[in-house]
Formats: sequence, structure tokens, C-alpha cells
Amino acid sequence: MKMPPFQLHSPKSLEEAFSIADELSSSNREFDWVAGGTDLLPNYKWHLNVKPDVISLAGVSELTLLTDTHIGAMVRLHDLAESENTHSLVSAAAESVASTLIRRSATVGGNLCLDTRCFWFNQTEDWRESIDWCHKCDCGTDADCRVIPNQNTLCVATYQADLAPSLMCLGATIHLASKDGERSMPMGDFFQLDGMTRNVLQEGEIVTHVTLPDDVSEWHGDYQKLRQRESWDFPEAGVAVAWKKTGGDVSDLRVATTGLESIPGYHEEESRLVLDDWRGEESVDLLSESVRKSVKPVLNTWFPPSYRRKMVKVLTRRACSGLLEDSK
Amino acid sequence: MWMTPQIPRVIRIQDFRGEKLGEEDSDEMVGYRQQPGKLPFSKPGSGGKNQFSEPRDESSIPESQGGSKAQPWGDHRHDEIVSGRVIGKPTALVDSRWKVTGQAQYGDDIRLPGELVGRIIRSPHHYARVLSIDASKALDLPGVLAVATGQDATSAFGVLPVTKDEHAMAQDKVRHVGDLVACVAAVDEASAREACRLIEVEYEVLDSIHDMRDGLEDSDLPIHDRGKYHIGESNVQKRVFQEFGNVEDMRDSMASHSSDWLFAGANHGFTEPHAVVAHWDPSGRLTLYTPQQVPHYLHRALADVLEVPMHQINVYRTFVGGGFGGKSDPFPHEMCAAILARKTGKPVRINFDREEVFWVNRGRHPSRIGMSIHSDSEGRISGIETDALIDGGAFASFGHVTTYYNGVLHTAPYEIGGFHYTGARVWTNKPASGAMRGHGAVNSRCAVEVGLDDICEQLNVDPIDFRLANLLPPHSSTITGFRVTSIGMRECLEKVREASGWDEKFRKMPLGRGIGVGCGFFISGSGLPIHWDPNKFPHATVHLKIDMDGGVTIHTGAADIGQGSDTVVAQSVAEVLGLPLDMIRVRSRETDTSPVDLGSYSSRVTFMNANAAISAAMEIRAELIKATSEITGAPEKKLVIGDRRIFRKDDPAVGVSYLEALHKSQEDRGALVSSGSYRTPPMGRVHKGAAAGLAPAYSFSAYVAEVEVDVETGQTKVLKVWAAHDCGKALNPLSVEGQIIGSCHMGMGQVLSEEMRYGRTGHLINPDLLDYKIPTVHEMPQVFPIIVESNDPEGPFGAKEAGEGPLLPILPAVVNAVYDATGVRVSELPISPDRLYKAIEKKCRKDGVSSPTEMKTPRISHSELQEKIVERGKSHSERDIERRRGKEPSPYHNGALFGLDPEVPGDEQDSRWTAVVTPSEEYLESPGLAGSAWKHVERRKRGDSQ
Amino acid sequence: MVQYRLPMLPPSDEVDWGASVNGNAVSTRLESNAILLDVLRDSLGILGTKRGCDMGTCGCCSVLVDGSPRLSCLMLAQEANGCEITTVEGLSDGHHLHPIQQTFTECGGSQCGFCTPGFLVVISALLGENPEPSEGEIKSAIEGNLCRCTGYQQIVDSVKEASNILCNGANVDDSTDPKSDPHPGFSG
Repeated sequence: MKMPPFQLHSPKSLEEAFSIADELSSSNREFDWVAGGTDLLPNYKWHLNVKPDVISLAGVSELTLLTDTHIGAMVRLHDLAESENTHSLVSAAAESVASTLIRRSATVGGNLCLDTRCFWFNQTEDWRESIDWCHKCDCGTDADCRVIPNQNTLCVATYQADLAPSLMCLGATIHLASKDGERSMPMGDFFQLDGMTRNVLQEGEIVTHVTLPDDVSEWHGDYQKLRQRESWDFPEAGVAVAWKKTGGDVSDLRVATTGLESIPGYHEEESRLVLDDWRGEESVDLLSESVRKSVKPVLNTWFPPSYRRKMVKVLTRRACSGLLEDSK
Repeated sequence: MWMTPQIPRVIRIQDFRGEKLGEEDSDEMVGYRQQPGKLPFSKPGSGGKNQFSEPRDESSIPESQGGSKAQPWGDHRHDEIVSGRVIGKPTALVDSRWKVTGQAQYGDDIRLPGELVGRIIRSPHHYARVLSIDASKALDLPGVLAVATGQDATSAFGVLPVTKDEHAMAQDKVRHVGDLVACVAAVDEASAREACRLIEVEYEVLDSIHDMRDGLEDSDLPIHDRGKYHIGESNVQKRVFQEFGNVEDMRDSMASHSSDWLFAGANHGFTEPHAVVAHWDPSGRLTLYTPQQVPHYLHRALADVLEVPMHQINVYRTFVGGGFGGKSDPFPHEMCAAILARKTGKPVRINFDREEVFWVNRGRHPSRIGMSIHSDSEGRISGIETDALIDGGAFASFGHVTTYYNGVLHTAPYEIGGFHYTGARVWTNKPASGAMRGHGAVNSRCAVEVGLDDICEQLNVDPIDFRLANLLPPHSSTITGFRVTSIGMRECLEKVREASGWDEKFRKMPLGRGIGVGCGFFISGSGLPIHWDPNKFPHATVHLKIDMDGGVTIHTGAADIGQGSDTVVAQSVAEVLGLPLDMIRVRSRETDTSPVDLGSYSSRVTFMNANAAISAAMEIRAELIKATSEITGAPEKKLVIGDRRIFRKDDPAVGVSYLEALHKSQEDRGALVSSGSYRTPPMGRVHKGAAAGLAPAYSFSAYVAEVEVDVETGQTKVLKVWAAHDCGKALNPLSVEGQIIGSCHMGMGQVLSEEMRYGRTGHLINPDLLDYKIPTVHEMPQVFPIIVESNDPEGPFGAKEAGEGPLLPILPAVVNAVYDATGVRVSELPISPDRLYKAIEKKCRKDGVSSPTEMKTPRISHSELQEKIVERGKSHSERDIERRRGKEPSPYHNGALFGLDPEVPGDEQDSRWTAVVTPSEEYLESPGLAGSAWKHVERRKRGDSQ
Repeated sequence: MVQYRLPMLPPSDEVDWGASVNGNAVSTRLESNAILLDVLRDSLGILGTKRGCDMGTCGCCSVLVDGSPRLSCLMLAQEANGCEITTVEGLSDGHHLHPIQQTFTECGGSQCGFCTPGFLVVISALLGENPEPSEGEIKSAIEGNLCRCTGYQQIVDSVKEASNILCNGANVDDSTDPKSDPHPGFSG
């Protein structure tokens, strides 16, 4: 399938990357960043929101550092999953992404910034023409959203990346940079509705790395993923749970979800409620039920939303199974 | 790099009389140097890479020929030509080295100098009239050489002559999203795609039909118009009504099962997208390079559409990257490439994006099947009632046949008291359905086998014992009159029962673990060819040519699509002539050089083509034996063929090498050539539709699947499959096992995850390999292939098919295992987790439990009937062994189990037994879903014929 | 009529590109947005690498880039600039099949053969790193490759057998010796 035309820029350093971005912005040329390419390139082949310029971060060596607490944006998921330095909750999510071949290319930054997905959107140009396009890629037609018809202001495409919930649960901080400088924020604050806005990145800004807090090794957890097949498939629902125990008692608990809405969910309130009055298995059930209630998937992925919602409860409970064991 | 062990190689020169000469003697040249009058022309050697003839492998020679190979299923007509060389031995595919080195050329690997890139403009509408096509902007684009539309080729085509309803491109209407409207040829892909963008097409959108049930109704504008043969004003493309046996009494039974099934459509999912290259050579002939299963039918269709004689066309079959029925129609894009190449005078290549593969489709029909099965108090299957409505999509393709197959292919392996079938195929505005591995038999077979499981549950008998007590014997006739020869069904069931530990597991495992059985029955070749009168033309023809080098060239038109047909034909010839495979070369690619073979469909190739090859090789064999007899003076009858040596059976020292005999035969005429062919014998009965499902032999299979169901999520994992298949004789066991395991994989996809899913707007929402969920390596269970060899009297060396039949049993085996694991009986495929979970929730409500983990699973306590059917099974087993060994067993017609005279068809001896192919008025008062298609009157019979 | 589709022309600017492909130095001009698979097949005529889905869901296009298996359909050619690329054509040394090539033929790892090149390069990388992989490791390595014919079982068998050859040094045929080719007469 022939790529639509765009100019590829391959900077060797962050500085060069930002200066290319600046140049393009100042001449009013739209552009995308590309990291591993496993998300952007198939979308481009299908002519989904193609920009005239693309800046590749593949050659930027500053972004590949991987330590216990520092994960560069250009770290490949394969390396993240295989590394001994990676927290088990993060590697559990990383090794569940797509297939081993995809993970050889795909990056941490690319996964966090994964474009939202919808079966009305992730289709070829011919196909989308046959439905008169959709809001997320309207090709200048002001087309309606095909999931929630009769409106073209909200996109409900689903965020189906695996890494975010695990990182959120571990209290990760995400670091962004642009020519104007750097900024950091808790992972949960990075994402921003709707399905087209996706996150807080400004034009010319990229994710440089993620850091984990120093106490990360004290956290344990699990990531549960719902999908049809054990390879290739995006999460139809994903639940990460992390906990900290002090003297055998649960002292802290975090839950985050993905694959259910246009941004990942961080279920602070739900986990606090049960944590305040911890009653073991009963609390896990309560937590699972409240997480289920808090998510509102729509019909735009492989499994129907009612099923995905019900499974959130099962996944949450299963992710908590280690929590009820004495060992951790 | 890997380690390369050194192969010790002794270099020596050896004379052809067998005396070894040391290296120091190498100056003493002997051999072929001809010096008339001085030296005699040396005797030729044995040929082949290994100069020494191998001793006869007695373990591969049948007992009837003095070898040690046991023949529990009796003698075979090919016993005396068995040389023990290659047949029955695991054999690498003869083309596998091309495949593993990247040298195999598939459709998109044919690159001709100066070629253009073709692209197709496709309909964005489900159903629309094409009002105008303006290609002026596209033609103005530099690099664009031609645009073609429906006006460039107005002749209709279709794989079946009775239902030609396709065109190269839209004539007046487009019938599904993705239907062909026009095509362009340009110097490169970017220009071709840009040209497609610039072509302006004006449409008038029409009301489209998406639900197959709507296709049964009258429509203002049916998707096709069949003129006077049109059925009412509906979209019914084909309808079938059949009643056989004692239909009247069958519902009056001890146990009845009734279920309404919904099967999603499935796609072949081969890895190679369609691709074609067309080239009109300087002499004005067309060569079309394409990965095709049916080069011959394409050849005919091209001649029709392009309006040139067939001899002006050479269809070149490239390597085929998977077919499974999805490359067995002549396709419009093949016509487009030829039209564009003719217009531009340059080669044109069209290769598909994956989405286009789904648009051309021809996959398994989405189906609604009503299945009722009845059993009497003796545990006999007193009746099967099937009502199958199948969704054909926008074109007929093989659908005429599929409509029959959904019924007639479950009239065996069981002896049944009555059979009622109504089938209808409708056009809808979807990509066309067609033939896919297990053509027409898969869905209704699943419904039958699941129904039997339910019947056994009601009767409290073991489902394997129940089946064993209801099998047709060898050399019998089904209720519809199919001639069944060899049957290994019983052995298949017995073997999987033992291997799987069935008796310790069935209805005994904990919640979430289950085991299930399913059987299958499939044609081994279609009795009737699509185009030809079988009494006049053969189905398959093979030519052999052997020149002085001793190598055998096989010319065959059989299309190797990865199943190994080139290998099987090479093996067959090698076996008969006693040659190693390295002396055989297969030329099967071009219609210019290949005799006609009808193609790789209906599981016909091994059966028919190997039979043709054997008869061609037997001609050569006779010549070699005659020559040997002349040289040695031994009578021909005493001679046998071993490895490149022909000798006296009773005195192996007397004989000559293959090359010596060959050269003797060639003395007067040069190269030996021969031709062999295969045609089916006259078979079957004479009612309308009697030919559908007729085959010279049938394959049988029985699988047991063990599954694990996560009852909290509805996810099913198949852990192990014991898969027994009766292929008559495994000519190449490696390939047979590969076909069995591969069939498991494909069938498992259909039962668990694969579906062509149409959204609320009628669009196919998953035309890609991410959302068309083909099982990955992680979903694959461990498969234990078990080969049963029933020694078919007509099959080549006893062989029958192994490519399609093995797919059938996996679906019901898994469905039945899911029931065993959960107590949930599903009737909608695929059993995706969400569907199963919904059913589990329903069962929880019914059981009055709050969590799926508290569900009850089915248990069994045998009834009195169990002992009775076990006894019957035992006595049938003895009956069958006797019948399969007998030289000419007496006739056995379905019905004997119900007390009729086995020697006469039921309807000829009992007035309650019928054979009816049109519905009564009484039936039409409350027909089944598909049966309601018969409410329409054909236009010609309405008196308003057009 | 308004055109909502994306123009495919004019093409992207060209850049210089070079790599070592199966040990041969290649340098050429490419459009800057070129995809590695398109370069291999359409520009360099290395047709052993197959195009199955063009979006990373079949693995037929797998190649080794600096020894690591990658999906060439999802890789910008520029990312492979200056790299060592190995395709299925580069697995055998011209005389000897790679053990996995040989065992694929003998164990039925290849039926239609279209997915075979992708499997072979992925498995060759696996065996390079780990000559004695467990069944689980084999399955994980090939989880990104789709095979529709074999049901994977005979592919896994082929890997085990190749592992056996690597570890125990069984015979590898010399493919250029006509006497060792079991089927030299077949037309490819």
C-alpha cells in the first residue's frame, strides 16, 4: 500500500527536532511526530489525518534511557518488557501489547500517545468514504460522529493502549518537552478528553520520558487485559491494580483502567473508599463493582460495551488476587 | 552462522556394470563414449542421484503381492503396481525449497518489464445505479494510460454456467460496497491511486438489503434479474426442497432436538492477497498470471469476457498463497487486468489491499439453520429436518451448489429414517459468499452433531456409542442415493475415544472443563464436473513424457495451492515406475502446456488427478515391462518394478535397470509419452438435484476436543484435539497430518472467534486481519492427528480426500465440549466470549445461582437404552468388517436399520418412504424460514414471463 | 464534485539511502516517506519478503534489521538507513540451507509457503539468540506471524528439529549439489 506523500524529517538530537518543529510551525505546516511507527504508519496508509510533514524521533538518542525509575520515550516495548530493571507491573502490561514483532518497533512514548480507536475510524479511505466519513477524520466535511450520531462536537473513540494504567498506578510522572522548555505532571493529568484531543501535548511538544517514584519497588500489582486473542489484539478492557502493604495490611491501593473510554481512567475515589475500611475479599468485591460502575464504554471496538463493562469487574477482582495473598 | 557439518564425500568413478574403480583408475574412462565398431554402447545405469538401486521395501509391498504390508481392509486394484518407493511415506513437498528460499513466485511476485500498475475504483454504496463515469481528469494526469469501465466488457460470467451473474465491472448497478465500477492503469501506484481519486462517478442510491430474511420477500428492484426464471420478485437465487424416507412418522419419536442456528460469515483468510498480471504478447495472445485454484474455469471465463478464443489465452498459475476456496472463482479483477493490458499494450499488474480481499470474499455463507433431529425408542435416528437459509451476498458464485450441500451432505454417515430439507440462498447487498473449505457442509454438520449430543443427553446414552450404533456400513447407499464405498467412520470414533480417554472424562470433569465429540462426512471430488458431460470428457488428464535422460515430466493442470498436489502426482508416478522423486518433474502451471484439470475444489485433486497420473504411468510401466521381457526373455507377468530396476519377482537376479528398459522401449520411437485420465463412474439416482453431493468416494472423520471455559469471562480455550480422519490411504502422511491440523485451526477460528461482522449501516466493519480474528499460535490446541486408512476401492492406492473433511468435526466437537464444561448449549457462532457469557448469565438465572462459578454442569447416568445400543454397535462392527472385506458385498440401502429390505431403496418398497423434491401445498401453509422461498412462483410459471 | 480524498501526488522529496541487504551494499534514491517493505519489493526487487496485510498483523513481511526481527511494512526505510538487512534470501549461504529452512521442508512447516519467509527470518533470529528454545519460547517468538495453512503445529515441530540440528550437528544438505536436492526437477 503506497504511503501518501509527506516529508520525513530525521533529527539526530532533541534540539534539532525542536528546531525542525519550530520551523514547520512558523511556516504553518502541520506535522506529526513518529516514534516506532506501529500506530501512525498504518493510520497514514489508510489516509487517517495525514500531515504534510512527519518528524521521526528514531534517531534521537536522548530518549532511549532505561533505568529502574526512568523510562525514555523511545524505549522499545520489547526492551522494556525484557529488561530486568522494569517493574513487574509495567512489564506485565508491556509484554501484553500486540505481538512480539510489533513490540520490537513500538515505543513507550508511542504507546502512551496511541491514537484513539474506533471501528468507524480505523478503516481505509474507500471504506470511510462509503460511510460519508466521521467526525474524527472528516476530511473537511464536518461529518457527524458515527457512534453517537447527530453531533459533530464530541469524539468517543477509545483509548486502547496498555501501558498507561500500570504507570498511573505506580505514581509515574510524565515529562514533556518542546522548544519552550520542559514540563512534568502526574501521568493521570496527561490525558485529556475527547477522543481527538487525547492529551495535553501542544504543537511541537513531545513526551521525553516517564519517571517512577523512589518507592516504586514497594508497590506490587497486576495488570489484567481483556481481548479475543493472545496476540495482536488491543485491550478491550484493561485494569491495573497496585498496592502497598505495611505489616501485612494494605496501606495503599490504586486502580486504573484502559480500553474503555477515550482516555484511561484513574479510579482514585473508588480505591480510597475501600481503603478507608479494608475488609479483605469483601472490599475487593466492592472495589470491582464500583470500578465497573464508573466506566462507560461505547460500541466502537470488537466486544460490545455491556460485556466490556461487566468484565471490568472480573478483571479488577483478578488483578487484586495478589492483594489477598499473605506473601506480598 | 550455524554450524555446517561436513558431509563426507567419496569421489569415485564407477562403471555401470557395478564394478567399482578406485580413484587411481580414473584415467580408464568408461561409459557413454560411443566408438562404433570398437566398443559396445555401454549399458545405461539406473538413473537418479544415487547410482545404486535400493532393495525392495517389503514392508511397503502389500501382502497380496507377496510383501509384508498387512491389508486389514482387503486388496486394492493398485496393489500390483506398488513398488514400495514413496507412497505412504512422509514426503517433503516437491516445491518446498522454492518456498523456504524466497524463490517461489506468488501473484504479486510476477514483475514484467514495462509493466503498469492497475487499480480498481469501487462502489461506496451498497446498492446503486451508476449514472455516469467521468474519467477525463484522471486521463489528463501524466502517467495514466487507460481507464476501463463496464462498457469495455459486457459479457456475463460466473463459475457455474447456470448462474452467470458477474461482470468485469458494473454494467448498470453496483451491488455491494466494494463492487467494481471502473479501473485504471498507470505507470506507478501513486499515479494509479491518484487517478482513482480523480474519476468522478455519479450514482443513484437504491434501497439495499442486508438481512438475509429480507431477501425472501418480494422487492421493488431485486439485486439481479433472472428473467423468466426469476423466483417471484424476490431475491431468492436458489431454493431446494427434498424429502426422503419416512417423513411422516419421524416426528413421532422418543427424543427430539430442535434448534435455530445463526452462523456468521467467515472468510478464507489466506495470507496472500489476490494479485494478477496480464500481458498480451507480441503475437496477440494473452498470458494471465494469477494465483488461481481453477485455471480452467478462468480460462473459459476470460474467453467469454474478452471475446477471444480460448487458444489465444494462456492462464499461468503462480504459486498460490493459500486458497481454501477463496481463489476458485474467475474474478472480475482478473478481467480488469486483461482489459487494461489490451487497452495499453503493456503488462498490467493489479494487487489487492487486504480490504479488497474481503470485498471479493466468496467466504462461508452467513446462515440461519433450523435443525430438528429425532430418535426413536431403539436409539435410531428416525429423522433429520433441516431448514437452511444462506446469505449469498451480491453474486451467485458457487451458491447453487452450496444450497444443496447444506442439506445433502448430512445424510451420512448415519443411517436415518427420514430426511426433510428446505434450503434457500438469497442475494443481499454484501460481498459475495462462495465456496470455503468444507463447502456448504460445515454449518449444517455442526448443527447435526450438536443435535445428536442433545439427543444423547435426552436418551441418557453415550454419544460415541450412539453414533457407533447408527452408522451406514461400507458399500451402501445413503437415503438420497449417494453411493458410499469405503467407510472408516467407526475406526475414527473408536480411535479418538481411546486416545482422548473419553470414558474417564465425558460428563465427569469439573465446571469449566469439558470434552465433546463431533463427526464429519465430505465428498472426495464432485461427481459432476461444472462444465462437462462426465460421460464424454474426463475430469482430470495427465500427460507423461520421458526422454533419454530418464527423467519423467508430468504435465498436469491440477492447481497446487499449497496442499501438495504437485507432490502427490509426482509420488504417484514415482511409485508406479519405481523411481525416486528426484527423477520426476512436474509442469502444472500453464494452460498452454497442461491438459485440462478442473481445478482444486471439492477435494477432487488427489482422488482424480492421482488416478489419472496412475493410468498414464501404467502405460509407461507396461512398455518398460515389455522391453524387459524382450531383453531378458522373462514373461511379462513374472516381472515387477523395484527401485529403478525391473526384474523377475521369483528370481530378482534376472532383470535390467530402468534406463536399460527405457532405452530399449525408445529404440523405434524416441521419447515415451502417455496420457491417462479419470472420470467418475455412473452413480446416484435421478431426482432433481440428485447430482449435488455425488462423489466417487467420501471421507469420514471424528474428533474429540477438550476445552477449558473461563466461566467468569466466557473465554474458551481449546486444550487438546484428537482428530481422526479416514482419508482412505495417506499417500503423503506428512501432508495429511498438516491438512488435519490446519483444518482444526481454521474450524476453530470459525467456532470461536472469526466472523465477518456487519454493522448497523450494513458495512463490513472488520475487513482486515486485526479485527477478523484468526487464531494465533497461542490459541492453537495440541492436535493429535490420527490417520485411518479405509482403502477406498476407487481411490488412487486407496486414497480419498484429506483437505476439507477434517474441518467439519472441530466445530461441533468444541460446541459439545463447551456444553460439557458449562451446561450451556450455544446455537450461534462464533462462540465469542461475549456471546458465551450472555448464555452463561442466562443459565445462572435459570439455575438460580448468583455466580457462574456455582453453575451445575451436566452429568450422565446411563439409561437402559445404553446397553442396547452398545450391543447394536458391536454387531454392526462385525457386519462392517465382513462387508469391507467382501469382494462384492450385497447392496445395502439406507433403511435396513428400520426393518426394510437392504437390497431395495426404501421408497420402492414401502409407501411411507418417499422421495419428493417439490413442496406440497400443505407444507407451504406453514413453511420453515428457507422453505418460505417456495411461496414464490417462478415468473415463467406465472404466465408473465419476460 | 468535491474531492475529500487525500491527493497521492506530488510525491515526497527524495533522499539518499543505503543499506547492506543480504550482505550486498545497496545505495539508491528514495522518497523520504518510503516504507522498507516497498523499498525491498518495488525498488530493489527482493521479492521473497511478502506483503500480506500491510499493517503489522500477519508478519509475512518480517526481515532482520541489524539482526533483530522487524515488520518491514511498518518501518520507515529511513530508519533502516545504514543498517544490515537480512531477508529470507539471505538466510542460506548459497550452498547450504539454514537448518530452519531445511526442517521447514521436512516437517511440513510450509504448506502454501506465503507466510514462510516471515516465519523463517523470525525463527532464525530466535535460534541465533537461543539455539534450544522451549515450546513456550518458540510460540512467543512466532506470535506475530500468521499462518493459515499449518495451524502452527508443524512449524513448531520444524523449530524443534532445527534446534536439534544446531545443538547436535545433524546433516545439512548442500543445496547446490544436485545429488542432495530431493526434487531438482520441479519448476519453481
